[in-house]
Amino acid sequence: MRLFAVGVTHRTAPVELRECIDFARAGLEPALSALTSRGVAQEVVVLSTCNRAEIYAVADDDRAGEAFGRFISDYHRVPWDRLAPHVFEHRGPDAAGHLFRVAAGLDSLVVGEPQILGQVKEAFATANGLQHAGAVMHRLFDTAFSVGKRVRSETGLGEGAVSVSYAAIALARKIFGDLTGLEVLILGAGEMAKLTGVHLQAQRVKQLTIVSRTISSSDALARQLGGRALPWAQLADALSSADIVISATGASEPVLTRAGVEDTMRPRRSRPLFVIDIAVPRDVEPGVGDLDQVFLYNIDDLRSIVKENLARRTAELDRAERIVAEEVARFATWMQSRDIIPTVIALRRRFDAVRRAELNRLEPKLAGLPPEARARVDEITHLIVEKLLLTPTEQLKGLTDEAMMVTYADALNRLFGLSSEEARTPAIEPRRGQKAS
Amino acid sequence: MTIIAWLPVLLYGLAAAAYIAHFAQREPRVGRAATALLGAGVLAHTFLIGMQTVTAGYAPLVGTTAAVSAFVWLLGLAYLYIELSTEERAMGAFVTVLMAALAILPALNPGVESRPPLLRSPLFTIHVLSLLFAYASFALAFVLGITYVLLFKEIKAKHLGFFYARLPSLQVLDMMNARAIGVGWALLTAGVIVGAVWATQVHASPDPHARAMSVADPKILLAVLSWAMYSFAFFARGAIGWSGRRAAWLSAIGFVIVLLNFLPVGYFLTRSHNF
Repeated sequence: MRLFAVGVTHRTAPVELRECIDFARAGLEPALSALTSRGVAQEVVVLSTCNRAEIYAVADDDRAGEAFGRFISDYHRVPWDRLAPHVFEHRGPDAAGHLFRVAAGLDSLVVGEPQILGQVKEAFATANGLQHAGAVMHRLFDTAFSVGKRVRSETGLGEGAVSVSYAAIALARKIFGDLTGLEVLILGAGEMAKLTGVHLQAQRVKQLTIVSRTISSSDALARQLGGRALPWAQLADALSSADIVISATGASEPVLTRAGVEDTMRPRRSRPLFVIDIAVPRDVEPGVGDLDQVFLYNIDDLRSIVKENLARRTAELDRAERIVAEEVARFATWMQSRDIIPTVIALRRRFDAVRRAELNRLEPKLAGLPPEARARVDEITHLIVEKLLLTPTEQLKGLTDEAMMVTYADALNRLFGLSSEEARTPAIEPRRGQKAS
Repeated sequence: MTIIAWLPVLLYGLAAAAYIAHFAQREPRVGRAATALLGAGVLAHTFLIGMQTVTAGYAPLVGTTAAVSAFVWLLGLAYLYIELSTEERAMGAFVTVLMAALAILPALNPGVESRPPLLRSPLFTIHVLSLLFAYASFALAFVLGITYVLLFKEIKAKHLGFFYARLPSLQVLDMMNARAIGVGWALLTAGVIVGAVWATQVHASPDPHARAMSVADPKILLAVLSWAMYSFAFFARGAIGWSGRRAAWLSAIGFVIVLLNFLPVGYFLTRSHNF
């Protein structure tokens, strides 16, 4: 019994190829059914996002990896020759490690992005809902979720905005805390102004005001964003009530001068003003930033924050990788301890078979007993078997050393004459999907 | 007795180390350990004060050293309340350092001073406790003010770094500062009024302390000064919009006066409060 992870990711395949292999497009359910109907795998989970299409599976055959690769090729009608060079295959602990890194965002295009954990959870829930996930997948994905959580809480990997708009919003939060009660003024009605407006709207600010030179375009943007438009002449009024100003006009001269902002600051008292100048050339005189309660950031400032955050995330990689390695080791130990399970089951079956055979043999003598006494005999013999097997079962399940496990299994096979057929019986009951084949 | 007297200092010191480590590395386990250590320190301190109360038969509030001990204990309680209600540990690094340093004074001199007849009034206990609680609030306001200024400078200078990653928002710091000043000011006002009433009651007493009770005494003078300072801080916020950085500076200066009054003046200069 082996764990496999097979598929393509943004690291192994170009986007033209990944586009063709989108399990999610037609729904995961048919893909899972088609895969299990091949009878190669005992447990299957399919993870499909725009950056990856991956199959996690438990199979007996060592060559199952290629079978999964060929399934991807057949299912999406991509010739195997074209696909094969881009398919990765991990086995055993490496496969677990791969999933843990994916769940933690370590394998993401933007390292540390949080969405992937939700996608991994969904992938597992879908497979589990269709009864394709057994004990191994449960353990594997539960561990993956906790790795994702640990990496998020114990390292700075997910911290710091990595896009200019989020950097601006993170700054605003650091200044104002909650953004819901704030008034936002947007200068300009172009594409940049709109983009930032959409982001702020998502933060549910109290009031969005748009001021631009042409009232018709600011009206249009205000309608789109659910804000209000004011004529250019009322800029000073709008400025005095604003908490955040985003300037994105196409003007070649500064729109906000130091003197102009200073005038509106006086009645504000100590209420801070956050000015974000994303226009090029700049809309806001640099001197505005020297005013007492004004925080002025331009597009370059925000870009350098993003750059620093990305660098910091990279620095946290080591800590995250250590967490992954820890959990992989723990999972590998657990997986190994499962190798003994077929032997345990065979042993139990053997004992129970002896019990039943003896009861059958004694049937004529037992027939005279009243039904309750007959039931007691059944129960007592069953209990004896259970008690005899309790300690050996615990001992066997506690084994972690592979060589020791083989020795024990061998010895048990010989001592109790466990047939290889019995010992090979899979630990997990066959799933419904598999019987269809 | 000495071991029990030093135990709070030790635990506060360990808590301070843990809070600083947590502030630097942001390891959640270290943060929880810091809170646990501080909690243990406050418990040990509670036990110590309780034992002193039982032994002496009155609350150990006589003399500056005992007052420092009670102040540290109240500060620990107030800080723990704020931490548990806001889930915010960043302030702990500053508060516990102050606590550990101040807790050394009572540990060096663990005995309970005998209580002169002058102080056998319930007004005395109310006076001391409300003032110490006010001081604890001002200590928190001071820490909040300092961190506000540090964070403000980082954002203003566009060097988002150490404090940016560790402190709550400016708005939250400012709001907590306002609350701490508000609570502190109310208790300070109450403490001073009770003190004044009590001083007029005992004015005829033969005790030389009673006759030294006047605004000319440095301890009382500085107390009135700090009351004026915090009254300004309290009302200026609403009336003339002195919030944010100005409020932060006011709470820093205010606490410096409080600390001066508490330690050097309390130990060496006053003739009315040197019990």
